[in-house]
Amino acid sequence: MLKIKDLHAGYGRIQILAGVNLEAEEGQVTAVLGGNGTGKSTLLKAISGLIVPWNGSVEFDGEPVEGLRPDRIVRRGLVQVTQGKEVYPAMSVEENIKLGAYVRSDRQGIADDFERVYSYFPILKEHRKSHAGILSGGQLQMLCIGRGLMANPKMIMLDEPSSALAPQAVMDIFRSINRIRRDGTTVLLVEQNVRMALLLANYGYVIKDGVIHMEGLARDLINDDNVRLSYLGGTVADTTGAAATL
Amino acid sequence: MLVDLVMIGLSIGMIYGLVALGISLIYSGLDIVHFAHGEMYMFGAFIGMTVYTQLNLLYPFTFVVALLGTALMGIVIERVFYRRLTAGGGGYTVAGMGIIICGFGMALFLQNLAYVIWDPTPKPFPVDFGRAIVIGDIYYPRVYLWIVIMAVALMVVLNVFLRHTKLGLAIRAMARNKDIAFLMGINVPLMISLTFGVACALAAAAGVLIGPINHVEIYMGYLILIKGFAAAVVGGFGSLPGAVVGGVIVGVAESLGAGYLSGNYKDIYAFLILIFVLMVRPSGLFSVETKLKA
Ligand SMILES: Nc1ncnc2c1ncn2[C@@H]1O[C@H](COP(=O)(O)OP(=O)(O)OP(=O)(O)O)[C@@H](O)[C@H]1O
Ligand SMILES: [Mg+2]
Repeated sequence: MLKIKDLHAGYGRIQILAGVNLEAEEGQVTAVLGGNGTGKSTLLKAISGLIVPWNGSVEFDGEPVEGLRPDRIVRRGLVQVTQGKEVYPAMSVEENIKLGAYVRSDRQGIADDFERVYSYFPILKEHRKSHAGILSGGQLQMLCIGRGLMANPKMIMLDEPSSALAPQAVMDIFRSINRIRRDGTTVLLVEQNVRMALLLANYGYVIKDGVIHMEGLARDLINDDNVRLSYLGGTVADTTGAAATL
Repeated sequence: MLVDLVMIGLSIGMIYGLVALGISLIYSGLDIVHFAHGEMYMFGAFIGMTVYTQLNLLYPFTFVVALLGTALMGIVIERVFYRRLTAGGGGYTVAGMGIIICGFGMALFLQNLAYVIWDPTPKPFPVDFGRAIVIGDIYYPRVYLWIVIMAVALMVVLNVFLRHTKLGLAIRAMARNKDIAFLMGINVPLMISLTFGVACALAAAAGVLIGPINHVEIYMGYLILIKGFAAAVVGGFGSLPGAVVGGVIVGVAESLGAGYLSGNYKDIYAFLILIFVLMVRPSGLFSVETKLKA
C-alpha cells in the first residue's frame, strides 16, 4: 500500500531524514518507533506532503505521491493525523468531525462514517454539541482520529496518538486502532509507547538518526534483546498483562 | 445638526469599516499586516472612476469591474511577493519585519504606478445620485445612503459566505491552522489567494463608494490606511465584527468632532478615539474570540 524508498527530508538546510526505506502492507498496522527528535513526525510530514521530500520516492496505492500538495494526497486516500491534537475549539465536536469530510460529497457515505466514528468513540457522540475546546486530552485525540477517518482514507497515519494520555485513555485509543484495522483501514502508527504499539502492530520499524535502524515482525521485535534494552522497560509479565487487555 | 452629523459619520464609518474588514481578514487569515491596503482602495477608486467616465457604465457595474480588477491585482501581488516572505514565518519575527517592509514598498510602488497611469491631479468621479433627502431640518445627500446600503450589503454577503458556505468554512479552517486544513484536503494556497482577493475587493468597494464624495487621487490611500487601522484596532485587531463597529465609531466621532469642535482637526479625532479605547480596553472592543479564527 505504501512504499518509501531512500527518503531524504529536512527543514531549511537541516537534514533530518537521511534515506528512509519503509513499506506498509494493506490491512495491517505498521509501527514506526523511536526516541524523541529522531524524525518520526518529519517522516509522516514528508509522506503527507506537509514538507516536500528532498530526495527519494513515496509510492501510495501504486502511484508516486512525493512532492504532491497535501490536499491532493488526502484526495488519494492517505490521511495524516498530527501530533498536536489540534482542533477548532470554537466549533462543536460534530462540526470538527464533519470538517474531515471536506473532500467528499456522498451524503450517505458521510452519514455512515459519522456512525462509524461514533461507534469507535461513543464519548464523542455524547459531546457532539459541545465546543471542542472543552474536551479532555484523550477525547481530543479521539476527535482528531475521527476527523481523519471522515475523509474515508485507505490509509491513516497516526502520530503518537497515546502521548500524554492517562492509562485508561491509552487503552481506549489502542483498542480503537485495532478496530480501525479490522474495518479495513491500513494504519501507519508512530509511537513512543513501544510495548503497546508492538503488541498491536503487524510489523515494526525503529528509526534512529534519520534512518531505519531496525525492522521486523512486531512479535519478533518485542522479543528482541536490543529493543527490550533500549525501548522496553519492565518484565515479560508486564507485556503479557498488557496484551490481555487489548 | 446632530442627526445629520451622525448619519454622515455612519456612512463614512462604513467606508472605514470596509477597509478595516479587509485589514482584519488578511491579518487573521494570513498573518500579514497589510500596509499597502490603502493603495487597494486607491486603485479600486481609480478603476471605478475610469470605467465610469470612459466606458459610461452604470455606477453599479463600475463596482463589479473595480472589485474584480482590484481583487485580481491583490491576488497577483500576494502570490508573487508576500507568499515568499510568509513561507518563512511571519508575525513578530524578523521574517515578519520583511513582510511589513514589503508592504510599505508595495504601497510606494503602487502610488507611482498610479502616478504614471492617471497623473497626480485629483480626478472627479461625477455620479448623480439625485436630490438630497430633506426631512424637516435633516439634510441627507443620497450618496451617503447609497454608501450605507452597499456597505451593509457587502458585509452581509461576506458574513454568509464565511459562515454558511463550504468555501467559507475552508477559509476559516485555513485561517486557524494551515497544516490541519491541508490535511483535511483543503487547497490552502487557493484559500489564501481567495482571502486576499476578497479583502482587496472590500477596499476597492470603499474606494468606489467614496469616489463621488471626494475626488479620486493617487495619495488617497495614505489616510485611509491609518483610519482603517484605527478602526480595526478599536474593534479588536483581527475581529471582523469589531472592524465594522470600529469603523462606525471612528467615522461618527470624526463627524461629530468636525461639526462641534473644529473641522481643521478632523483627522486626529480617529486617533483620540483609538488612544482612549486602548487605554480602557487594550485588546479592543471585541475580544479575540470573535476572530475569523474559528
Ligand atoms: N519545523 C521545524 N523546523 C526545524 N527543525 C525542526 C522542525 N520540526 C522538527 N524539527 C527538528 O527535526 C528533528 C526531528 O523532529 P521530529 O518532530 O520529526 O521528531 P520526532 O521523532 O517526531 O520526535 P517526538 O517523538 O518528540 O515527536 C528534531 O531535532 C527537531 O528539532
Ligand atoms: Mg513527533
